[in-house]
Amino acid sequence: MISISPKVLATGSDLSIGKKLDLNNLTPDQVALDINKLNLYYGQKQALNDITMSIPKGQVTAFIGPSGCGKSTLLRCINRMNDLIDTCHISGQINLHGNNIYDKHIDVAELRRKVGMVFQRPNPFPKTIYENVVYGIRITGENNRRVLDEAAERALRNAALWNEVKDRLHDSALGLSGGQQQRLVIARAIAIQPEVLLLDEPTSALDPISTLTIEELINDLKKQFTVVIVTHNMQQAARVSDQTAFMYMGDLIEYSDTNTLFTTPLKKKTEDYITGRYG
Amino acid sequence: MNKWFKSGSPWIWLSAGGVSISLISVLGLLWLIASRGLTYFWPSVLYQFDVTDEQGVKTVVIGEIYDREEIPVSQLAHLNLALKPDQEILERLLIKTGNRELVSLDFRWLLSHNITKTQTPKELVVVERRTHGNFYGYIDSVVLEGKEVSVEQFPELLTRVENFQEKIDDLQKADIGAINYQLERLRLKTRKYQLQDKLTAKLQAEIDHEIVTLKQAYAELEQELMGYRQEISRDHIVMRAMDGQLVTINFESILKMTFNNRLNIFEKTALFFSQIGGFIIEDPREANTEGGVFPAIFGTVLMVLLMTIIVSPFGVIAAIYLHEYAGKNAFTKLLRIAVINLAGVPSIVYGVFGLGFLVYMVGGSLDQLFYSENLPSPTFGTPGVLWSSVTLAILTLPVVIVSTEEGLSRIPSAMRHGSLALGATKAETLWRIILPIASPAIMTGIILAIARAAGEVAPLMLVGVVKMAPNLPLDGNFPFLHLDRKFMHLGFHIYDVGFQSPNVEAARPLVFATALLLVSIIIALNMTAVKIRNNLREKYKMLEH
Repeated sequence: MISISPKVLATGSDLSIGKKLDLNNLTPDQVALDINKLNLYYGQKQALNDITMSIPKGQVTAFIGPSGCGKSTLLRCINRMNDLIDTCHISGQINLHGNNIYDKHIDVAELRRKVGMVFQRPNPFPKTIYENVVYGIRITGENNRRVLDEAAERALRNAALWNEVKDRLHDSALGLSGGQQQRLVIARAIAIQPEVLLLDEPTSALDPISTLTIEELINDLKKQFTVVIVTHNMQQAARVSDQTAFMYMGDLIEYSDTNTLFTTPLKKKTEDYITGRYG
Repeated sequence: MNKWFKSGSPWIWLSAGGVSISLISVLGLLWLIASRGLTYFWPSVLYQFDVTDEQGVKTVVIGEIYDREEIPVSQLAHLNLALKPDQEILERLLIKTGNRELVSLDFRWLLSHNITKTQTPKELVVVERRTHGNFYGYIDSVVLEGKEVSVEQFPELLTRVENFQEKIDDLQKADIGAINYQLERLRLKTRKYQLQDKLTAKLQAEIDHEIVTLKQAYAELEQELMGYRQEISRDHIVMRAMDGQLVTINFESILKMTFNNRLNIFEKTALFFSQIGGFIIEDPREANTEGGVFPAIFGTVLMVLLMTIIVSPFGVIAAIYLHEYAGKNAFTKLLRIAVINLAGVPSIVYGVFGLGFLVYMVGGSLDQLFYSENLPSPTFGTPGVLWSSVTLAILTLPVVIVSTEEGLSRIPSAMRHGSLALGATKAETLWRIILPIASPAIMTGIILAIARAAGEVAPLMLVGVVKMAPNLPLDGNFPFLHLDRKFMHLGFHIYDVGFQSPNVEAARPLVFATALLLVSIIIALNMTAVKIRNNLREKYKMLEH
């Protein structure tokens, strides 16, 4: 497994070099998400200051920054998980297909079907592996056995889990290892064919081998989905992402393609952070 | 010493002591009621005592020893007993002598001091009867159609009568009961038509015709019944009592005759278990002081099940509202405090509420609306099993709400977020993820509710329990489950038998036996619920991260 990974990573970075994007001048069909002057407050305290950025389609975008810089908060804004926090309120826009997701007429459940999310700790439901994967499809009212079976297999294959679980689909998902659980959760999220997949520090609770598997998986996933990943691990960001945004104290400090950000950062703060001077 | 205190050992000892005390008291309680209750079913030795009292009068006493106690001589000074000067304590025996047609009391006290001779003759029998309690004595003769026959024929004669008894019971309960029920329905139907002014001559004729058919069937059944009655009253036995008097006992009133002193240990054990079986499946007799407690068991279980069916959805829905939907403000806090305080309201208050609100207001209105043909005799406007269940459901509601809320708040938010992030709405998340995971906690609430409700008596006395219910709430007549009927309850049975019966001494072992049964039933109900909960827990167990 370890011997394969550099190759995969190499092809991944080759691709991103091949079609380097100008993040400030994306054409509309290159944009997955457009964040515009986003401010977020927890009660009186402002947690995000005037964030404006475009997230390109079919690529991996990483948010890095020290703890408490607002990177997870920003991620959770994209599928409105922050709505669950009573004291949280937001101004500004996030546009998906030119529609502001904070518009009154937006159906939040519909939005979350388009923008899937995977959390820091694996959170499989206490159901069977199969039921976990098809949960999102069942929610839409689909109960046809064949459709569900196909979707489950496709999602598990895409999440690189099929070979490990195909013989025990109807066992409890809680019997899987941490890394397998996290891939199961990813399978669950991609089973409903979202457009954007948000990953909130998906490997921080996992061992190095599982981390590597997930990183390979992320590289595969960007062929189908736009991936946004939050990580506190700079090496990981460098390995998996095409674009990187560095955030600090609720501000978006620097946002550019990953190679540029890690080799020739424009801002002093970014350089200090990636060279380990604080964080 | 100081070191010992610091090591924490005293606290371990203290907590272990607390556990031991609880354990010992639970086991002690169970041991007491089990031993007192179960000895009632053990076939006891029949004694014949020759007694000489202070005046020198000699008598013979036959019976079972029920109790022994020691009393100080000073209490017996008025009897002028001839005692040794150093004797301070005398033993006194409580003897069950039965034979209610000869002596008015079933029991009498004997001073061991007065007993000159104690025998256990093998020929002594105890006859269990449908009425008048036990008879103790010797068999004098068995009379078959006026002719004396040998005692050996007794068992087959008794079996014959038992078969007829069974037929009579079937006739009375099933066939005649059904006809009576039909007649009553026809009467109500007529009355309903009258009230609505729809009673035409044609309808009247139809109903009359049905009544005539039913009455004919009734007459035939009655004829059959009379035949059986004659059959069972054909033979009798003659018994000799302790004072030599001869007493005739008809076969129809004999339930069982046993030569207790001839039984070996295996026969006694067999008899012991058959007595316990009889206690569980038979109807009570003699103002509840004899016979079984089946209607009370049935009533208790049915009422608890109905209560569970009513309280679970309400409790769970209320808890979901409080925990998931209600705003986190002062009003919700107030509501929660009110719910918790409801658990502290004395149960009799719920009884009064049930009677005033449920029975008279709700039940009375139901009668006005749907059962007006039956008025002025009430249908639901009178205490019954439905109102008892509802009252107990209100009583146990706080328990279910509190433990369900507890369960809901223990669910990690990752579960909710996981579901919501997949595009599920809050309701879908609740229904598909939260409730299944919370189900063990809900079951815990239901277990506590059952435990509380099954043991509750006070409110039931106001809203539906009776000493003696003529019919079970469940029978073969449509609609099968009669929620308006009154019912019997083990808890009330204990109170009634132990403290309201004319024969308290006789009833004491029954009180213990009934208490044991009530405890066993509550334990059985709880165990079932615990089993269900453990299965659910196994199914939805969360990995500890």
